[in-house]
Amino acid sequence: MYASCSMLKDFKKMFLKVQLNWNVVIPAESLDIKGLMLQKAILIRLLDDFSTKRATKDLGYLLAVTTLDKIGEGKVREHSGDVLFPVTFTCLSFKVFKGEIVEGVVHKILKHGVFMRCGPIENLYLSNQKMSDYEYQIGESPCFLNMKTGSRIEKDVGLRCVVIGVKYMEAMKEIQAVVGLEGDYLGPV
Amino acid sequence: MSKIVILGTEVQIIIAVYLIFRLKLSLSMSGEEEENAAELKIGDEFLKAKCLMNCEVSLILEHKYEQLQQMSEDPLNQVSQVFEKSLQYVKRFSRYKNPDAVRQVRELLSRQQLAEFELCVLGNLCPETVEEAIAMVPSIKSRGRGHDDEAIEKMLNDMSLIKKFE
Repeated sequence: MYASCSMLKDFKKMFLKVQLNWNVVIPAESLDIKGLMLQKAILIRLLDDFSTKRATKDLGYLLAVTTLDKIGEGKVREHSGDVLFPVTFTCLSFKVFKGEIVEGVVHKILKHGVFMRCGPIENLYLSNQKMSDYEYQIGESPCFLNMKTGSRIEKDVGLRCVVIGVKYMEAMKEIQAVVGLEGDYLGPV
Repeated sequence: MSKIVILGTEVQIIIAVYLIFRLKLSLSMSGEEEENAAELKIGDEFLKAKCLMNCEVSLILEHKYEQLQQMSEDPLNQVSQVFEKSLQYVKRFSRYKNPDAVRQVRELLSRQQLAEFELCVLGNLCPETVEEAIAMVPSIKSRGRGHDDEAIEKMLNDMSLIKKFE
């Protein structure tokens, strides 16, 4: 726990507000409209790039651009004639880390575990081996039941759990994580 | 394709031209340029990164969503999936709804010599007892910053007071 916490401190967590420097390419055709229109073109291009990017390994999911801080001087590209602008902007991103305690919503219950949703992360997997106090209950709406406390994990329940491992899938631009309920004060909220 | 609100037809033309151009570009572009455009200098940028609590993110995203609503009839169509899911999530898991309360919690917690991530975990989970707080953020106890049980308890009390009076 100690080690994972110091790691968290270095990497920060969850929702991040971060300033980035990207390059935006404006094609030569749209350059003849001067002044404000150019700025608008740069902004639109940036927002488009931003939502296409979706997620990165280091920052996690890219949520929204909050401010456009600086548009640098454009550089003309020799072959094509379009212009590359260095842009500084601030955005929000979302990521989870090993050892972190998160809250998510259960959206699928299977015999061997449950899948949870946590913000833009669709697949947070909680295996039945990581919730040994809970037993699978078969029925019309299946659930996991804690015999001692009577607490119940079913669909749409909010669950507090600890992150055991995180994986970033480059091809799908998606983060997947494995979580557990083994620890104090974890479980349905 | 473009998920942002488009203000005039000129812009749409620009985008159309751009798309055609991108097609040409991708054919002619050298590998070096491509790398450049997608470059993310993570090391430096992460130093400036700041953690936000769910309730703060909720305020920002809702504000953005309202802006979109004013500009278009169907704002859900304008935002990315990532945006939409995040908004749903923070709406459900924000302990504080009122902007003033959110500000107060941030102020209160930033006076406590906490690391950014500790601050956010406490603000998100709102533990009720000292043991729960330590279970959620074990490092608050173990780094010798004068966080004895009393100090933690006072902090948790103040947090629940803000919740009560928001």
